[in-house]
Amino acid sequence: MIRSVALFAAIYLALVAQEFIPPVPFLGGAHLLLVPVLFCYGALWLPFPAMLGLSLFTGLLSDLAFLHVVGDRVEIGLGWSMLFYVFLGTALRPLQPLFLQGRWEVHCLASGAATLSLLLLQYIMVCLRRGSFLFDWNVCWHIAGPAVLALLLAPLVYFFFKLLPAGIPLRGRGGQHLTR
Amino acid sequence: MNKLHFILLGVAVLTAVVFLSFSSERMRSWQSGYLRVSGPALQAGSAISGRVAKLQKGLKTLDQLEEENAALSAQNSELRASSQLSGDLESENKRLRAALDYRERSAFKLLPAQIIGRDASSWWNTVKINRGFAQKVDAAQPVLTAEGLVGRTTTVSKDISIVLLLTDENCQVAARVEGTNEQGILSGQRVAGNSSPELVLNFLNRDANLQPGMKVFTAGVSGAVFPAGIPLGVIKEFRARELDGQAIVEPFADFSRLEDVFVVLGSQ
Repeated sequence: MIRSVALFAAIYLALVAQEFIPPVPFLGGAHLLLVPVLFCYGALWLPFPAMLGLSLFTGLLSDLAFLHVVGDRVEIGLGWSMLFYVFLGTALRPLQPLFLQGRWEVHCLASGAATLSLLLLQYIMVCLRRGSFLFDWNVCWHIAGPAVLALLLAPLVYFFFKLLPAGIPLRGRGGQHLTR
Repeated sequence: MNKLHFILLGVAVLTAVVFLSFSSERMRSWQSGYLRVSGPALQAGSAISGRVAKLQKGLKTLDQLEEENAALSAQNSELRASSQLSGDLESENKRLRAALDYRERSAFKLLPAQIIGRDASSWWNTVKINRGFAQKVDAAQPVLTAEGLVGRTTTVSKDISIVLLLTDENCQVAARVEGTNEQGILSGQRVAGNSSPELVLNFLNRDANLQPGMKVFTAGVSGAVFPAGIPLGVIKEFRARELDGQAIVEPFADFSRLEDVFVVLGSQ
């Protein structure tokens, strides 16, 4: 229970904290995105209904934090991140047994892939809204840089949450008990 | 996944679709609510990050302090001289205006504000300031520093507002080049590199005789957000394209070190 509450709180605090973390100069000014890393941990660890709740919570807060309204124009509307996190969480379900066996690298790779796909999708939507598609090294760095940072950060998040008491019993396929 | 999981997945997708159907005004009001709730956390984060920055700035060697002191003394003398000069100019200006029966030009009412957060996303350039509708800030009001224009407000909550920076591709400003009749639309670039951001001034005459170093100001067309005459930047490069001319402009405001800004509330 403590770990679940901490996860929800951490996602909110991460959204606020991100605003005070300066871009990383040696990665082309890439930003450190903490939220996808935390979400991937929750998606791999929580039961399916709780994962859906976490997806909606994360998506709504992310959309509200990054909503970009100019005049009457909204570039990425409220709800897109909710959809993204719902589908991402569902896509990560097959990897859950591996993760619960203690394979921390699953979380690491999932965090990198999630950050990469989130930024790529955002960029495609921005380009579609603005009516032109530009792709150069700057764009590559702004997408790949945060993904690399997420890969590096994921083990820290994994081991931090490992320290907290879990308190959620889980029955795996066939009813065997798995430790969270 | 069992049947219940599919039903829950459907409900989650439906919830997201409901949010997607919101109008832009409703989305803005939700964001305003989020800013109101997150206000204390943002203010606390800003205070902590300010203290850390001050601590880093404060760690200087004696040589650095001496050097800084000498530079400040020189600057002080220079400012005193220039203040004296501008005082003379002001009195002369007043005398001439009175002689010509000109109306006093209305100055703008400026509200000082501090930056309390920066957009962590990769595709938008916005900052959050510690002023909102409680201090009479409204959407689409210009924000500037002593150096020049910074941007405009977008979403406004009670005590926090979001400012769309001039370096964002969506912040488009009607601009004119000093000493010429050239006017164009100034905006930021979609993805800026690591170096200081540059602006682009589009839709100029392709035969325009623009030289590096020429200053760019807001044009203040009727119905626009920005009044005329606010400094924007200086031309760095001009290139003629097939149909029009484009200038690369270096902004006056230093966007990497923005701390204190002013919101233009209106004329006095």
